[in-house]
Amino acid sequence: MAILGQLLVGLSRAMILFIVAAGLSLVLGVLRVPNVFHGSLYMIGAFVAWTVAEAMGGSPARLWVALAAAPIVTAAVGLAVERTLLCRLYHREHLMLILFTFGVMLVLNDLVKLSWGPTYRSLVPPEGLQGAVSVLGVALPRYNLVLLGAGPLVAGGLWLLVHRTRIGKIARAAATDREMVAVLGIDVGRVFAVAFGVGCFLAGLGGALVAPTTSITLGMDHTLLIESFLIVIIGGLGNLWGALVGSLLFGVAHSVGLLIWPQFAIAFPYAITAGVLLVRPQGLLRSVW
Amino acid sequence: MVNGTRLGVGVLLAALFGAPAFLPPFYVYLIALILVTGLLATSLNLVLGFGGLYQFHHAVFYGIGAYTLAIGITKLHWPAWVAFLAGPAAAALAGLLIGLVCVRLERLYFGMLQLSLGSFVWIVALRWYPVTGGDNGLHGIPLPAGLKPLGGAYLFILTTVVASLLVLWAVVRSPFGLTLQAIRDNPQRCQVVGIQVRAHQLAAMVLAALFAGVAGVLYVTLERSVFPNMLSWVLSLEILVMCLLGGWFTFPGPLLGAALVVTLRTFAGRYTEYWTLILGVLLILLIFFLPEGILGTLRARHAQKAPEPAPQPAPAGDVHG
Amino acid sequence: MHMRRLAVLVILGMVAVTMSRAGAGPSPRLDRNIKVGVVDTYSGPPAVFGNDALNGFRLALEEINREGVLGARIEFVTRDEKFSPEIGLSMARELVLQERVDLLVGTINSATALAISAFAREQRVPFIVWISKSEQITGAKGHRYVFSTSENTAMAGKALAHALSRRGYARFWIGAEDYEYGHAVTNSFWRFMKRAKPEVTLLGQTWWRTGEPDLVPYLTQILQARPDAAFFGTGGAGMANLLRTMKVIGFAERVPSAIHTAIDVTVLRPLGTAAPEGVWGTTDYLFYYPESPDNREFVRRFQAAYRDPPGFPAFHGYITAHFIAEAYRRARSLDRERFIEALEGLRIRTPVGEVEMRACDHQAVLPLFFGRTRRDPQFPFLMAGNLVTIPGREAMPTCEDIQRARAQGR
Repeated sequence: MAILGQLLVGLSRAMILFIVAAGLSLVLGVLRVPNVFHGSLYMIGAFVAWTVAEAMGGSPARLWVALAAAPIVTAAVGLAVERTLLCRLYHREHLMLILFTFGVMLVLNDLVKLSWGPTYRSLVPPEGLQGAVSVLGVALPRYNLVLLGAGPLVAGGLWLLVHRTRIGKIARAAATDREMVAVLGIDVGRVFAVAFGVGCFLAGLGGALVAPTTSITLGMDHTLLIESFLIVIIGGLGNLWGALVGSLLFGVAHSVGLLIWPQFAIAFPYAITAGVLLVRPQGLLRSVW
Repeated sequence: MVNGTRLGVGVLLAALFGAPAFLPPFYVYLIALILVTGLLATSLNLVLGFGGLYQFHHAVFYGIGAYTLAIGITKLHWPAWVAFLAGPAAAALAGLLIGLVCVRLERLYFGMLQLSLGSFVWIVALRWYPVTGGDNGLHGIPLPAGLKPLGGAYLFILTTVVASLLVLWAVVRSPFGLTLQAIRDNPQRCQVVGIQVRAHQLAAMVLAALFAGVAGVLYVTLERSVFPNMLSWVLSLEILVMCLLGGWFTFPGPLLGAALVVTLRTFAGRYTEYWTLILGVLLILLIFFLPEGILGTLRARHAQKAPEPAPQPAPAGDVHG
Repeated sequence: MHMRRLAVLVILGMVAVTMSRAGAGPSPRLDRNIKVGVVDTYSGPPAVFGNDALNGFRLALEEINREGVLGARIEFVTRDEKFSPEIGLSMARELVLQERVDLLVGTINSATALAISAFAREQRVPFIVWISKSEQITGAKGHRYVFSTSENTAMAGKALAHALSRRGYARFWIGAEDYEYGHAVTNSFWRFMKRAKPEVTLLGQTWWRTGEPDLVPYLTQILQARPDAAFFGTGGAGMANLLRTMKVIGFAERVPSAIHTAIDVTVLRPLGTAAPEGVWGTTDYLFYYPESPDNREFVRRFQAAYRDPPGFPAFHGYITAHFIAEAYRRARSLDRERFIEALEGLRIRTPVGEVEMRACDHQAVLPLFFGRTRRDPQFPFLMAGNLVTIPGREAMPTCEDIQRARAQGR
């Protein structure tokens, strides 16, 4: 029973990982760009959520407004970078794209420092979401219920976007064969911009969702960036469900690691990644696109 | 032209060997640091620029070389010469093991697998307190008396770096090196004409790891300390930037890149907290305006009269190879 | 004849003047200013601590330079190590070789502090550590050229063991962040706890990695084991996460918990009301305790200069400057060896009372304050209540302990 409860607690972390990794995977799948500044957008999302919540003072709606505002800001930042600079690099090779996004990461992280300074921030959730409820014998923070709900919502939304909208279908086609789509007279650039914007939106949403549970600080993007990259890799590049499987696998690996060898629990996700890639070099799931 | 280059290299070498006599000690130290970092970047470029492999986590081999020397002397009490040889040997062995796993994959997948295996080594360095000193690292490593004064350490570093660069230069110019470049430019065709692509790539990885290990050993000679940061992916990306900055399709490019980045970091760091902002902007400008780096662009301009096909990297897109 | 006698008299006179100067007479004047090289983190999250320490140091230098030290002033240059030991070491080298500083001061990063310490020993340059809490600095890795004006993990563990051993807890659980500080402070706590009260038992341990964003699973594990009390080892952003999670799941109400620096202002202020009440903690500086005139005056002047009240790093920076000035006054020269001898055993007046630089290990003998977090309507963040002072002598490992640690470290 207690172990089930533990897993439930760990699941909320997996949901955050999924939301962020799904954004990364989307960009990787459609644009073929491994976006290193995805983590910075996550951090910016958390800081913006804090700023918005602070500005609204004691209003009970502040958390919800912050959750809505932060992803819009990060999507705007991401789109600005994509439309002005990144879109000129698509014909270049991967290494240049990675290094470019690395450069943007360095710049954004220092801009965060300039705007918010080096101090830690905390966002206190509204009254109704403070404290914990008892589930399966463990104390589950009330706010984690929001996280547990957000994961499936995002997954459902993405499914609708990808399978039920015109732009989603074009995006899937563009991911498989970019030239073919262009030949059909469709503006691939616009599709790329939308996909990139949605990816950045998800990074900001992840950051805003995590803000009430943790210290909002410079460097909070570090671990998450590496983890979501690994998740995307083991899930299969560009595969949204792969990102989901990867996130859950990561969560389980971490809990199991804690039980067997706490000192090296941190190494388990890396070991899992290496193991998966040894057996299935292209990731667990093939691209469904 | 060739004579001019030779003369330039000769003058530079004479100046480097004479440096301790006329430069203040801090500059001697700075040159030594540039030489060590330059060797590290050049070793990466063997697999990156000449081999076309996305070696995202090269710093791991640098760290393994340095840690092996440090642990050999402080914990295992090996004689100094054994420890000095064991460092590069351990790095080469790690290069072989990681390489065996990674060369089965291509491009982005190769890079990501190399990154995760490298991070694994980094975690061991960070967590194995009794041996590696954990996040504190190991400090004040005792070295032979001749290497203790800065002048002695400097000459040892300079000689070793020059010798290593000569070997690397010979490798790049050898039939092996030329085949490696052919594989970078067109792996499929090489495969078809019967070249053992994987074996060549693996050999290049081992060599690159070996010389990264040499650089690691030299870092300990200079600083007498090791830290887990030496195996961090941030350092790996920094040396990637050095290769790109100097010109990653040229041999001396990474050396120039290392000199620029180390010097900038040392002096810009004094005046600004926003060093990473500068590095980021520099990197973005480079990608847009000097994609082949400083030396690559200079060479291209030089060769304009008699155009020589610049190495065309494979286009982006085909992730699944 | 006459000339010779005159010459003898003149020489004798000169000797007498020189002797009197060397003795208790008027001080010699230095022919240049004293230059201190500061290496610390001024970018990234730990910059909060680095800046606070530097502010305290600056404030003290203003007072000191008003009257001067042997007719000279103390000036300083800073270098940002970016929380990276290789950059810190490189900067220290630049300060010594290029800037020719008389001594080095720094840093929050214990890896950097240990690296610079080894370098300082090789170069025979004094180095005073002012924020890093690693007990190795003046313990196992200590030497003639390194000093510490900060409390350390050995002192923190001993002080908390001392305080908790009187509270009737028998079954403990240890939880900590898996890094050097976490290991050091919990080791020290448990060693001294066993020494103070041999019948205590350890039910279990929980370790989480640095940067772990979600601590709920770890704390749940501890709650289910129902220990009498829990001891935690963490700091910085990890500490903020721990306290926030404790409050959310109501941990401290069910398991009495003790954490070094949990009552510290630098920890509690950014958390606001997200911090839990009733957590035991220690720190070596509080701006509101002890309510002595010296402390009140220090806080008043610090706030006049920098608005915010001083945190523990500011206190360390402040006393470091006064230790440096007093040691030079006593050494009467810029000679490094004489400076070190003057600093050994030196006692100065500080906002928390007289503090001695212990000669045997070069560790400042700082008192620690033990208390419990509580709401104070006057402040938007939690404060410490039920405060008790644990004298430095009681919290410090003995000189024999230090000698043993150093012998093992060799």
